[in-house]
Amino acid sequence: MAHTSRGAVVAWLTGVGRSVSRIGWPRTDKDRAAAMISSFFLHIHSAKVNRHSLEAKYTLGLGLISAVLFGVLTVTGLALMFYYVPYPREAYRSMKDLQFVVTFGIVLRNMHRWAAHALVAVVFLHMCRVFLTGAYKAPREFNWVIGVGLLLLTLGLSFTGYLLPWDQLSYWAITVGTNIAAYAPVVGERLKFLLLAGHTIGPLTLLRFYVLHCVVLPLGVLALVALHIWRVRKDGLSGAEPAREVVEEVSGAFPPSTKTYGLMALTKRPSASVEASDPADEVFAWPHLLYRELLVALGVIIALHLASLVFMAPLEEIADPTRTPNPAKAPWYFLGLQELVHYSALIGGVIVPTLVVVALVALPYVDRRPGGTGRWFAPERLVANTIFAAFVLATVVLTIVGTLFRGPNWSWVWPW
Amino acid sequence: MRDPQIAPPRLHVWFAVFGVAFLTIFSWVFFREQGAEWRAAQRRFESIEASVKNPHQLAQSARVGGIRQFWLPDLDRIDRCSTCHLGIDDPAFASVSQPFTAHPGTWLTTHPVERLGCTICHDGQGDATTYRDAAHRPIAFVERPMRPVETIEANCGRCHRSLDPPDAPALAAGRRLMRDSGCVSCHAIPGFEGITFSGPALDSFGYKVRPAWLGAWLAKPKGYLPQSKMGNFRLSAQEIDGLEPFLLSQRAQAPLDSTGVDWKKADTDAGRALFGQLRCVSCHMVNGRGGDMGPELTRIGDKVGREWLFSFLKDPLRSQPNTTMLQYRLSDTQLRDLTAFLLDEYRTSGGTPDATPRAYEDPQAVAAGRATFVQRGCTSCHHIAGMPDPGRIGPNLAGVADRDPAQLQYGAAGVRRTTDNYIFLKVLSPDALLQPSLMPTFDFEPGQAARITLALAGLRSTDLPASFVQNRPPVAPYRPAGAFGALVERYRCLSCHSIGGFGGTLSTVPLDRIGSQLQHDYLVGYLLNPGAVRVSVEARMPVFHMLTDEARTIADYASLVFLDDALDAYDARFTPADLQKGQDLYSRLGCVGCHQIGTNGGYVGPDLSNSQRRLRPGWVAAWLRSPERYKPGTLQPDYGLSAADARALTAYVCSLSAGGAARSGAPK
Repeated sequence: MAHTSRGAVVAWLTGVGRSVSRIGWPRTDKDRAAAMISSFFLHIHSAKVNRHSLEAKYTLGLGLISAVLFGVLTVTGLALMFYYVPYPREAYRSMKDLQFVVTFGIVLRNMHRWAAHALVAVVFLHMCRVFLTGAYKAPREFNWVIGVGLLLLTLGLSFTGYLLPWDQLSYWAITVGTNIAAYAPVVGERLKFLLLAGHTIGPLTLLRFYVLHCVVLPLGVLALVALHIWRVRKDGLSGAEPAREVVEEVSGAFPPSTKTYGLMALTKRPSASVEASDPADEVFAWPHLLYRELLVALGVIIALHLASLVFMAPLEEIADPTRTPNPAKAPWYFLGLQELVHYSALIGGVIVPTLVVVALVALPYVDRRPGGTGRWFAPERLVANTIFAAFVLATVVLTIVGTLFRGPNWSWVWPW
Repeated sequence: MRDPQIAPPRLHVWFAVFGVAFLTIFSWVFFREQGAEWRAAQRRFESIEASVKNPHQLAQSARVGGIRQFWLPDLDRIDRCSTCHLGIDDPAFASVSQPFTAHPGTWLTTHPVERLGCTICHDGQGDATTYRDAAHRPIAFVERPMRPVETIEANCGRCHRSLDPPDAPALAAGRRLMRDSGCVSCHAIPGFEGITFSGPALDSFGYKVRPAWLGAWLAKPKGYLPQSKMGNFRLSAQEIDGLEPFLLSQRAQAPLDSTGVDWKKADTDAGRALFGQLRCVSCHMVNGRGGDMGPELTRIGDKVGREWLFSFLKDPLRSQPNTTMLQYRLSDTQLRDLTAFLLDEYRTSGGTPDATPRAYEDPQAVAAGRATFVQRGCTSCHHIAGMPDPGRIGPNLAGVADRDPAQLQYGAAGVRRTTDNYIFLKVLSPDALLQPSLMPTFDFEPGQAARITLALAGLRSTDLPASFVQNRPPVAPYRPAGAFGALVERYRCLSCHSIGGFGGTLSTVPLDRIGSQLQHDYLVGYLLNPGAVRVSVEARMPVFHMLTDEARTIADYASLVFLDDALDAYDARFTPADLQKGQDLYSRLGCVGCHQIGTNGGYVGPDLSNSQRRLRPGWVAAWLRSPERYKPGTLQPDYGLSAADARALTAYVCSLSAGGAARSGAPK
């Protein structure tokens, strides 16, 4: 009797489980592959991946880390929105309340802050990785362009979020940042006016930045990330190239020598990356990719918790338009630009940033030479890599100089 | 073809490590929240409360739990201090150690915390819930850490704007110092509106002083007169060389003619007698004793010329319309004797007449001196007809306490960079802060500078709502016209007495209701020959040598105008029973300890021997019932007398007369 009733409960529970997940917990490779395709959450992956794409020393997991950081930022950001009032005095007070009275408030704020800084850095490093492995080459040119768009959106998100605490640090950083924007010829002043909703930072600026930070830019990022990952999925994970030759496919025909999964083969394009020319290089995404992803996500979250417990997000006095700190500095990722502006407003504020963005966007269409893809520092890409390394070095050096070596009146100081 | 299925990744160890790490760190976050400083404090409080209170009290006391705060929308702040300071409003915790100590004094009663919170007085970060973040000690990015108790009076001044704020002696001292030092001449200072300060007019300065005295004075005023209100302007020799001829060339109005005075017959002994009789020392100091309303006279012989002094004593208002000095009604002979006595008695040098006057007609030097005079702001205090008035040459001090400490100069390393410290150093020695300063050095003691700093440290630009501020009551200048007005002007009544809050504070008797206090005839007699009502008071009413008609005019006016109807409505028809009861009360309350009747009694209070002729009953009764109301800070005790008791005592006091009427005499 007892046995029967127990069986009924198990059957009932199994029914509930099946209603959630149609195939249940997959126990064989085949079931797991099927799960990758049929699960809404997992179908972002292909069922099989090339094992060369999974090597940590190849991707460094930077794209994944960016995605995890964005997820953390979304969750903590939503939580913070429950406490934040986008009006000057109240905005600053909500920072104090988060620190002093909201349960876990300070951890939330610290995590959001450090994740945001980390995201800027990781996105930049991700771009470096993609360049240095030549992964932007056909068929991934356009995904590189999307990536540049994401980099800019990330900077925009971080910059708009910088104002929200409404302390001296944020107020003057945004003042400096928007002044850099104002150096653009013809439209500069209008652009600044549009950003600030006025000539100086005020309550409307805060509201404008708040809406940009919480609604407009995240939606933009979400759209571009979806596209970015979709393209990764369609264009294939890079890193598999050295192991295969490009095979031209016939429209509508199944290539004879490869396995196909789902709809993935019904393309007119050079073969999607699902398949490797050497089937021996193929591994199932579950567990090989999925477990690694989980591990990286866990690692990122642990690191963020640690950082949030040890390092406090900065909060200075409440913003005071009458009291200019000396030096007033932009957020750290714009300090390279500010350093350039110090030499020449036109060069630092207009020419260099415009050229950099144009060059980044045009890059995959200018550098169309095939080869050198899928490997770090491919010898045939020596010139391109050298030029890029110089650009990165200049960015890093300028940023470090602006951050650590500049004191009152932007004069040279030693950080020790 | 080898097996395409590569062995599953060996990630279990990693998962285990990361999983444990995640759990650990997440519990750390959780326990840190649970172990928050304020939660620990509240737990400690509960155990202490059990030992401080008896079970009955304990049952009645509300359980603490969670953040406690005062939300003060008017002040735009939230104070959470009581989250930890849980015994703050409970006298049972008077001797418990911090943070649970009860607030000392009755401050929380007079300053309701529901309306004012904590940080309006104490500063610090009221939002915070940890010891460190509340800024009990200075921390980064908190502009105003908690004020230590030594300087907390600065914050009293944010609301209490009167010159004598209650229960803030250091602040009051600072404000009085500022008023007396003439800060308002050069600075606009919130709370000091309407207060003016001026030195002597210099229109006829060339006739007044001996040239030899002037140079030393300009170089160091306190060298001649330690109580000098004039600061040291740190003038260069060159500037003094210009100022001397410029000042000595000011001869707008010659002194009154004294050619008919035979100085050879001057009787310095008669002068000395007059000096005592006129009670000059009520206002002037000589040899370290006397009042400080007028300048010290100890070395007056070194400073002024004979003709000028004679003229000034004869009519002080003629050359100094704003002087506090009264005009005695003296004959030329008396004036001569007094002048001669002053110049002969109070001098250090041999008294040789000045050598040849310096070339103060040199137009170039005069012009240079004139420029210096204007540039250093001398016009702020000293009037010279026709000089341009540049207004207040010092900065407006509104919001001085909010000046950015990072932008200020401190003069020396090792000074903690706070606005308070800046103000202190600036007041103490204006020239020592590595910035050019026109401000004179007043040679304040460090203690005085600290008090002035207290007064200035409350001047913030972020002002409190008007309903929180208790402004200095506005004082309307009192300037009566006609014969009485002329007498008030001549005898300078308002130098010492006040009417409607306007006037001097040397006398403790405001004139507002003097007509209801004193009998008309007594007042006439007193004005003609002011005796000492209180034996123990040092500053006495001067003997004016007033005419009888003048005294009568004043008494008439006072009896018609300076009245309190409530006092005059008093029914003064006393019964013998009142009288008897009053006499008993007089002995029972020990009035004799302070008051004299006949030859019996103390010296602290006024002599009551002649009260029948002197006082009016309505006043006596009102005074006995609430002395503090009529004279704040008086020594007269408030016995809490009933109306009947006060009436009885009044009946007795008002029956006393010097003639020795039947019922007078000291009680047994």
